[in-house]
Amino acid sequence: MTQSSNETWTVTIVVPEDSSLEEAGETYDLEVGADETILAAARSAGVWLPADCQQGWCTTCAARLVDGDVANPNARRYYDEDDEAGYILPCTAKPRTDTTVVVDQYDDFLEFRAANDRPPGNSKLDS
Amino acid sequence: MSDEKEHGSGSVAPGDTSKRVGAEVIRERGVDPEELREKLIDAIGAEFTTYYYYTNLRMHLAGEEDYKEITEDARLEDRAHFELVVPRIYELEGSLPNDIRDFADRASCPDAEVPTPMDDSGGFDTSDLAVEDILEVLLEAERCAIRTWSEICDMTRGADPRTYDMAQRILNEEMDHEAWFIELLSKERDDEINPAGHFARGEPGDAPYSTNNRFNDSA
Repeated sequence: MTQSSNETWTVTIVVPEDSSLEEAGETYDLEVGADETILAAARSAGVWLPADCQQGWCTTCAARLVDGDVANPNARRYYDEDDEAGYILPCTAKPRTDTTVVVDQYDDFLEFRAANDRPPGNSKLDS
Repeated sequence: MSDEKEHGSGSVAPGDTSKRVGAEVIRERGVDPEELREKLIDAIGAEFTTYYYYTNLRMHLAGEEDYKEITEDARLEDRAHFELVVPRIYELEGSLPNDIRDFADRASCPDAEVPTPMDDSGGFDTSDLAVEDILEVLLEAERCAIRTWSEICDMTRGADPRTYDMAQRILNEEMDHEAWFIELLSKERDDEINPAGHFARGEPGDAPYSTNNRFNDSA
């Protein structure tokens, strides 16, 4: 697929009902540029998603991709099994199609990383 | 103590040493002190690993004495940040991980490795190592730290003035560091003048915000 920097995709952000975020239960449709991260687009639109490093390392922003496709080339710590299980890191993920993501998945993602013996899973859960 | 006069102690019973009012007052204000403590461990994990990695980055700025000086300031100040916050973690009834590998794994920022592969003899392959690449690693490490301490300021604002005070002091210095490396990388890579607008530290690693009113002698 060819990409141009002015191409945009509709990213649907689903905040689960049981999320501790103020936006729990809400769904947002955002237009996100192909060169823009989902996190940056959400925060610019006033949807304050959790994040920390914004370099694809700490996993605070972890989300589940339920539809569509993203590119994650700049994530500093992202594994094949994350991709296969449908986890993304919105701080570095850029849409490549119209996409739907379920955000605020940090706790589940830590369990997943721990089960796969990948950091920071066990180092966080064993503390 | 008079039997008629009860000791005012909120939810912590008089003489109860199993709880800390210093933590409970934070909880009363809506912040989970255990969650905060764990976030602090992640944050100072990043300060500690950065201190380590900056040592190596500094060494590989061979011949670039001005860059080495600035990197040394940032290196020592990141260590000062680690030492500033360690006591707070114990106050909040936490501790450093026993295994340093766990500490590094949970650090909230990426490893700031020398941007070059290892050679066949196990040393760094420096044949294509460029100064601008090292400066970019330093810059991005500082940017991560700014984001981390901003999150902690957000988390503690209006609820935990003690941690907030530490975090905002550290944040001040991380913002200094970012400005330094923007200036150096702009000049080195793009030949652009992009001043940080700062004067030199009084001494290497002076940490004027995080140690100008010391919480303890080691910080």
